[in-house]
Amino acid sequence: MAAGTGTMQMDPLFLAMSFYRRRKLEECAEVCTQLLKKNPYDQASWCLKTRALTEQVYVDEVDVDEEGIAEMLMDDNAVAQLPRPGTSLKKPGTSIGHGAPTPGVRPMSQAGRPVSGFVRPGTQSGRPGTMEQAIRTPRTAQTARPVTSASGRHVRLGTASMLSQPDGPFINIAKLNLSKYAQRQNLAKVLFEYIFHHENDVRNALELAAKATEECQFKDWWWKVQLAKSYYRLGMYRDAEKQLKSALRDQDMVDIYLYLCKVYRRLDQPLTAVDIYKKALEKFPGETTLLTGIARIHEELNDMTKAVQLYKEVLHFDNTHVEAIACIATHHFYTDQPEIALRFYRRLLQMGVYNAELFTNLGLCCFFAQQYDMTLNCFERALSLASDENMSDVWYNIGHIAVGIGDIQLAYQCFRLALASNNDHAEAYNNVGVLEMRKGHTEQARAFLQAAAGLAPHMYEPHYNHGLLSLKIGDLQSSHNSISKSLEGYPDHSDSRNVLTQLKEDFAAL
Amino acid sequence: MVGRTSRVTETPTRFQDDRCDLYLIKFVENAALEESSVFIHNPHSSALQGGRAVASHSNDISILNINQQVSAVAAGQLNDSGCDTLLIGTPTNFLAYDVENNSDLFYKDVSQRQTTFYELKDQVIRYQRSKIRESPISKQVADGANSIVTGRLGSLENPLAIVGGNCSIQGFDFEGNDEFWTVTGDNVCSLAMCDFSGDGTLELLVGSEDFDIRVFKEDEIIAEMTETESVTSLCTLHGSKFGYALANGTVGVYDRTARYWRIKSKNQAMSIHNFDLDSDGVPELITGWSNGKIDARSDRTGEVIFKDNFSVAVAGILEGDYRMDGKVELICCSVEGEVRGYLPASPEMKGNLMDVNLEQDSLRELAQRKQNLLLELKNYEENARVGKGGGQEVDQSQLGIIPANTQLQTSLLVNPGSEQVQPHVELSILTTNETVIRTVMIFAEGVFEGESHVVHPSQQNLKSTLQLPVFPPKDIPVDLHIKAFVGYKSSSHFHVFELTRQLPRFTLYIPCPDGYAEPKSYCTFHINERINRVVMWLNQNFLLPEEIEGKDTALDIMFLSLRTGNPVAIKMDQSGNVTIKTDDMDLAGDIIQGMATFLGIEDLLSTAEFPDHLEEIRAVLLKVDELHSVRQKLTAEMADHSNLIRSLVVRAEDARLMGDMKNMRKGYMELYDLNRDLINGYKIRCNNHNELLSCLKLVNQAIQRAGKLRVGKAKAQVIAGCRQAIKNNNVIGLFKIIKAGSL
Repeated sequence: MAAGTGTMQMDPLFLAMSFYRRRKLEECAEVCTQLLKKNPYDQASWCLKTRALTEQVYVDEVDVDEEGIAEMLMDDNAVAQLPRPGTSLKKPGTSIGHGAPTPGVRPMSQAGRPVSGFVRPGTQSGRPGTMEQAIRTPRTAQTARPVTSASGRHVRLGTASMLSQPDGPFINIAKLNLSKYAQRQNLAKVLFEYIFHHENDVRNALELAAKATEECQFKDWWWKVQLAKSYYRLGMYRDAEKQLKSALRDQDMVDIYLYLCKVYRRLDQPLTAVDIYKKALEKFPGETTLLTGIARIHEELNDMTKAVQLYKEVLHFDNTHVEAIACIATHHFYTDQPEIALRFYRRLLQMGVYNAELFTNLGLCCFFAQQYDMTLNCFERALSLASDENMSDVWYNIGHIAVGIGDIQLAYQCFRLALASNNDHAEAYNNVGVLEMRKGHTEQARAFLQAAAGLAPHMYEPHYNHGLLSLKIGDLQSSHNSISKSLEGYPDHSDSRNVLTQLKEDFAAL
Repeated sequence: MVGRTSRVTETPTRFQDDRCDLYLIKFVENAALEESSVFIHNPHSSALQGGRAVASHSNDISILNINQQVSAVAAGQLNDSGCDTLLIGTPTNFLAYDVENNSDLFYKDVSQRQTTFYELKDQVIRYQRSKIRESPISKQVADGANSIVTGRLGSLENPLAIVGGNCSIQGFDFEGNDEFWTVTGDNVCSLAMCDFSGDGTLELLVGSEDFDIRVFKEDEIIAEMTETESVTSLCTLHGSKFGYALANGTVGVYDRTARYWRIKSKNQAMSIHNFDLDSDGVPELITGWSNGKIDARSDRTGEVIFKDNFSVAVAGILEGDYRMDGKVELICCSVEGEVRGYLPASPEMKGNLMDVNLEQDSLRELAQRKQNLLLELKNYEENARVGKGGGQEVDQSQLGIIPANTQLQTSLLVNPGSEQVQPHVELSILTTNETVIRTVMIFAEGVFEGESHVVHPSQQNLKSTLQLPVFPPKDIPVDLHIKAFVGYKSSSHFHVFELTRQLPRFTLYIPCPDGYAEPKSYCTFHINERINRVVMWLNQNFLLPEEIEGKDTALDIMFLSLRTGNPVAIKMDQSGNVTIKTDDMDLAGDIIQGMATFLGIEDLLSTAEFPDHLEEIRAVLLKVDELHSVRQKLTAEMADHSNLIRSLVVRAEDARLMGDMKNMRKGYMELYDLNRDLINGYKIRCNNHNELLSCLKLVNQAIQRAGKLRVGKAKAQVIAGCRQAIKNNNVIGLFKIIKAGSL
């Protein structure tokens, strides 16, 4: 320990490295600071401190990506504005019929995408048409989008540096002579990661990378990938693509392929991305990240048959792949095979996943597989494990069970509890509305349904329910409005269509 | 989009996929935004109503965003999928796109270097569009991909997409590998594939801004035709015949290097296409003009066999089964978006498309001819009468009869010029007796503005001799077609003398007077020829006051270029070693190419020593590097700013939705300032870009010059070597190749 008072003292640099290896990054930085105070030109400790600081905020660039409102609305990165169905991520659900359940069976997530079974970034793709819609809709805590992908989390990560360094930043980038550092490859890489991840100063990172790649005669694939990352952050996808392709010519790396596919996804060319994944699989057969990538794209294109097939292939290579198990389980659940889903969920439980969501899913599977004895036990577990964030979902599902067993009073209470823990829970509003409607409280029902519709305009249920309610009380105009919105969300909903035909007849009769 | 009318600016292209549906592709350029979209119209659901195709659904049209100015669109098969690939060229990039699957085949920079190079102006403009309007940004020099064709070139294995750009031509296969690369003298305006040599494989025809049509067999130039203006379009007719159109409104047809016919109009030909409109088995050349006229001309004679008129300029012509009825139509599209289709004539009509007017026309023509013959007969009768009368010599001149032995003589002389007069070639025309020259009309391609020149001296200055200056702009052989009106001063009848005089290739050169030092740059090569043959070539191609005597021992002659004022020396010793000393690399190239053609040399290696040129290239390359690094910095800055702008827009909008007007105002004010910064930055980048382009063009031209110093295989080798050297950033290697011909 550093506190040794004379007897035996470990070499501080060795100690710092040991801290770093054990991921005690703050201690490591602390020791390095001491070392640097003694000798400001100590490259080794400078390097180590930089890495320790970077490591604290390091994120896997490949997986983390959330498209911001601004990018979504103001960028036309996609070549085709009206692509053929099934070739674009912009309009999910355009290829219903490839084994994907309809929204009538498989619900949407709160952000308007079919539930996938696994929380991952980039799945919030309810694509609003205008900026106003975009800003108005994600006003709930769980569905908020960052303003741009460059702000949001990245900025928050970047400012971390200022907090942890009370006496100013460790490295003052504005004063650095980047060309000098670019010549020293050993320092340049560390410095780049620091600037990119810790300082979040993409512009300077890009400059450093450009100089460094020139220094090594455009031969180092690593620098090319870093250039691509910087370009990607700046929204210059075509340049990122070029750098990545060039890097691939130097070195075959799974990471590069993954990043390239990420670029193509941004360019809204999912099929090109699938091609790239497949090419990569020829070089790295059985690589689960690549397989998962293809599966995710198929899933986003609503082609569940292919997605599940690929997830199964993933499990063939890695039988502890949580995402694959969860997605297959969800698929089975929503295609009316709760028993099989139950087996997959139990597998997850065996693997040590132990959280509220899993127990909720287990409970639901048990209920639909008619193992009623287990159902309530599972939900009890879920409730005990639930945090504030998912408590409302657990109550919502219990309410669902209550509706299933016909205990309307319990159901009502559960939905109310769900709303109490999260007052943005649109599904719960909708269900409370329905229950109120059945009790004959028209005005309350209308209020709840309208609240649900306002919170989740992509859901067709509140619209349909509201339409039905309005029809009953004779408000044909608002009924027509609501039914039309319902059909926007789910064009093949036959009940809505029936109501619409009826409405048309009524209008004709007037 | 900003509220301006869009217009179709470029050729619609035919595009076919596996269902054999036809797509009409247009690209529409928005003048205010410099940003174009490509529209694809697929008519497979359209219905026919009374023989007219009626678009039924709006979803027949798909729009592709390119975010840059589109400079060329083409479609063709690159892989074996059976679908056409859409190829889109922009000033800096080239995109091969699979429309069916919404997927890129590849996306390439068509600028020369590997370093980063791309466009950001679209972003600026997009943010402008979001709220703020600024004055339109100055037009950028179009470059990059100017023209695209697809096809199997020569004996190459895969079909290539060939892109003509800034002095360079690149061919990409379906994976985006560039399988083919070569340079031309200037910016490429048009490309076509044609079986020029008749060997069953296709050659590439390239029309460029330096008025040349070059024919490439793989990467070797096999023929070069010089025209009088930049070649705006080329189109294969059949076999080795191809049509061309120039920027000055000329349209014509070549069969190999021989021109069949050409016509010139005051309108510009917007698009040319081949189509067998009269069903005689031979395609006609269809031309769409800038005044909206469309005509079909026979490939043999240039005779118009069909015409029609649009109210506005024609945008493009293509063929395809647009109505889905199994018949191929000729489709013409105007810039205002009007599309007309023409079915070929039924076979019974046998090429008589103009049948309605045919009889009237021929009647009129015959009447005209009769009139002319009557006039001529009258003249003869008059002459005969005078001849019978005899002894009335004075009257003869009044009647316009000139002595039978009258001849018109022409001579060409180089006038070295003086302080007032530019150096020129003096063409003097004189008659052999006292008859005077009333008017001279000279027709020569590319020498005079508008191609023909008329001299009409005033009544007092009529003489039997006439001198007129000719300024050949380039070192090319020109045929002067001279028509002179010869008669007596007082007479009103004149005789027309027609003659053709050839202006040799190197006209503006005189034997060098003393006092000029030999140029220090030179180029040497070896030929297996006698000196006499070279002397013969010199005599034929230079306009010399007296012919050079053929000597057996050695040749040493020096000329002075009147155009530049620099001397050029040509030396040859007995063993066949030739040295050309000049500071002008282009001139050396011209001399070598001319000599090689005359002597029938197929392969010629040479060593070149042009220190001034090399120094220039070195400076240019340095500048290119500098510009690249500045550019990169500017680009990153702009991207960073645009990210900021994005979030500002969203925040301001958010404030607006919440009714927080104070913050909204603040947000928009910030946005306005940032936007102004961004636009200033864009202007700087624009200048930087233009400078870069001109530098890259210089580099390409230098390679082209180095190539011209060699013939045949050696030439292709030099060009490929230079390219490789530039790709690897190997300046020393580049210089070595330019000097020695190989590494």
